[in-house]
Amino acid sequence: MSKTDIEEASKDKLREMHCKFNALSRCDGSVMYSQGATVVIAAVLGPIEVKTQNLSIEGSYLECNYRPKAGLPQVKERIREAAIRDVLELALLSEAYPRAKMSVQVQELEDRGSIDACALNAACLAMLIGGLPLKYSFAAVHCIINEQGEFVLDPDQNETLHQQASFTFAFDSVDGNLLLVQTKGAFKIAQFNDIECICRAASAEIFEFYRRNIAKYHGSSAEQAAATKEGSNGDPPMET
Amino acid sequence: MFMNANLFEPGKSKPERNFIQGAVKQNTRFDGRKSNEFRDVKLTFGADWGTVAVSIGETKVLAQVSCDIGTPSSARANEGTLFLNVDIKGVAFLDEAQATHDQRFLTLNSLLERTFKSSRCLDLESLCIAVEQSVWCVRVDINVLNHDGNLYDASTIAALAALMHFRRPEVSYVEEEIRTFSERERELLPLLFLHYPVSVTYCVYKSSSQPLVDPTLLEENAADSVIVLSFNSYQELCTLNAGGTAPTNVRTIMQCARSAASRSKALVQFIRKALELDAERRQQPNQVAGLVDLLNESAPQLSFKHLMAEQGQTETNKADQLSGDEPMQLQETVSEEQTTDTSTQKIPEPQMDDSSWLPQEQNLSEEQQVDGVQLSSKQEVPTTAKAGKSKPNRGKNKFVKKQPPTPRKQNQSDSEEEVTQII
Repeated sequence: MSKTDIEEASKDKLREMHCKFNALSRCDGSVMYSQGATVVIAAVLGPIEVKTQNLSIEGSYLECNYRPKAGLPQVKERIREAAIRDVLELALLSEAYPRAKMSVQVQELEDRGSIDACALNAACLAMLIGGLPLKYSFAAVHCIINEQGEFVLDPDQNETLHQQASFTFAFDSVDGNLLLVQTKGAFKIAQFNDIECICRAASAEIFEFYRRNIAKYHGSSAEQAAATKEGSNGDPPMET
Repeated sequence: MFMNANLFEPGKSKPERNFIQGAVKQNTRFDGRKSNEFRDVKLTFGADWGTVAVSIGETKVLAQVSCDIGTPSSARANEGTLFLNVDIKGVAFLDEAQATHDQRFLTLNSLLERTFKSSRCLDLESLCIAVEQSVWCVRVDINVLNHDGNLYDASTIAALAALMHFRRPEVSYVEEEIRTFSERERELLPLLFLHYPVSVTYCVYKSSSQPLVDPTLLEENAADSVIVLSFNSYQELCTLNAGGTAPTNVRTIMQCARSAASRSKALVQFIRKALELDAERRQQPNQVAGLVDLLNESAPQLSFKHLMAEQGQTETNKADQLSGDEPMQLQETVSEEQTTDTSTQKIPEPQMDDSSWLPQEQNLSEEQQVDGVQLSSKQEVPTTAKAGKSKPNRGKNKFVKKQPPTPRKQNQSDSEEEVTQII
């Protein structure tokens, strides 16, 4: 009985998140990010020299790569890469560094469900820790509708085996605007709206996680500031 | 704001090179290690079979083994295939200078190919399902996460550990039909090995005769030549890769080879031990194994120093029981003897035979007994206190925590002595 209770509870909760900043020494910013058993590592380098073919005088060029654990990137990985690039292009304040390149690399370490959302969150954290200019930070949340028609937030890999539909949403931290919607499978529009609300609520939790960890990384004074801020606002969308 | 591609890597600029050359002359290293001291090696196994993350200091590498059924080559119709691939793009950010990147990629791939494929370390015939029709194709992908020197060792250790960790599904071949059993139906099978090779890397500088083991990126880029030796656990040479411009004599290479052989043996033992611990962990229910451990500070760490120190202790205890001899006392007598050596400098080195490898075997086994790394019993020779001084005591420095600095000096003078003998 208690076990089913735990399962019930886990359906509308995010899995446990962990992150480790600057685990790699050769880049400007890197983060090892895990959500449940899914682990990704993201690294940024920039602003750096750009090839003439990619040079733009209006803003910086964004290079984004996603690497699978085994083999060469296939279509699936390319789609994921494109999703990350799209969101990053929206969030990156590219006007800050014209004629430069920003390079973002995401490496999958272990895929145990909702890898799309994890890769996006890791990319955002890497940008934040690498000090690249962003208009806003963003958080991605994955949610599915399982066989019984229940909503499962941030599912594990074995929960995704039998799914009716899967959704990935990304929200920005300032206005709470939708940055990315990825859906798969059949669903009603009412279900879509419900899931968007669930994911939006969950994104607040992720932003809180970002803030807490970055404050911890940068020292205790920032942590205190975050703690006072934490008290003042709790409802999404959050102001930064 | 913009980086010059050539100066981006540490060790590429002239002042850095001069600094390292000067440091090597004084027998010091930037990170405080001795010339024959290794960085700690850590293994983290993933939740999937055949996933392993290796870190040597700041160098981090991820290896993933996968397999599928394919057709064999016509030349070797009854053998499976092994494909190794190193990927150094991605998070390691190595592609800044295209030329060095390509060169690195080629040397790494050829090293792995020679170490694992040409030495035939896997029993490929056991991967055959139906002759000339279907065999298992094993693929090892190595992703470099961070490059801080010695990618050679990191990738060979990662490849070996991943291959040893990997399990393939069982298949049956009945009436021209292949049936693959899932994990639930039949237990997965590990790959069969004929031997276990790993590599050890040395850097040689013009300013010093003492090669540096396990170089950092700074040391590697500033080096005049890099020697990579692959040995298997039976101390047989699998690969020798020596290039560069530093004049290297036979003695230096032999000296490297000897310590590389024992290091390789210890490394394979370490990997075995780590695999055992991982298997134990998998037995327990509710244990979150996997690469999440990289993030988890409290997770048990499979590090070389930790595991092998334990082993050293248990083995010296064993030796203690067997011979009734106090192990610490043995160590002390060795170092004392060495101290007298350094002061007098008159006892000649035991004659080293450069032409053949075999006579040294005796010395090796003796050294290893002192180290607490046990050799197979047939090679064992009664230990004498003098045994230790014939060779640089790399292992001893590692296993005995408090060692007076005198043996190290002895090491250096050893090698100098060797060189002068030749000249």
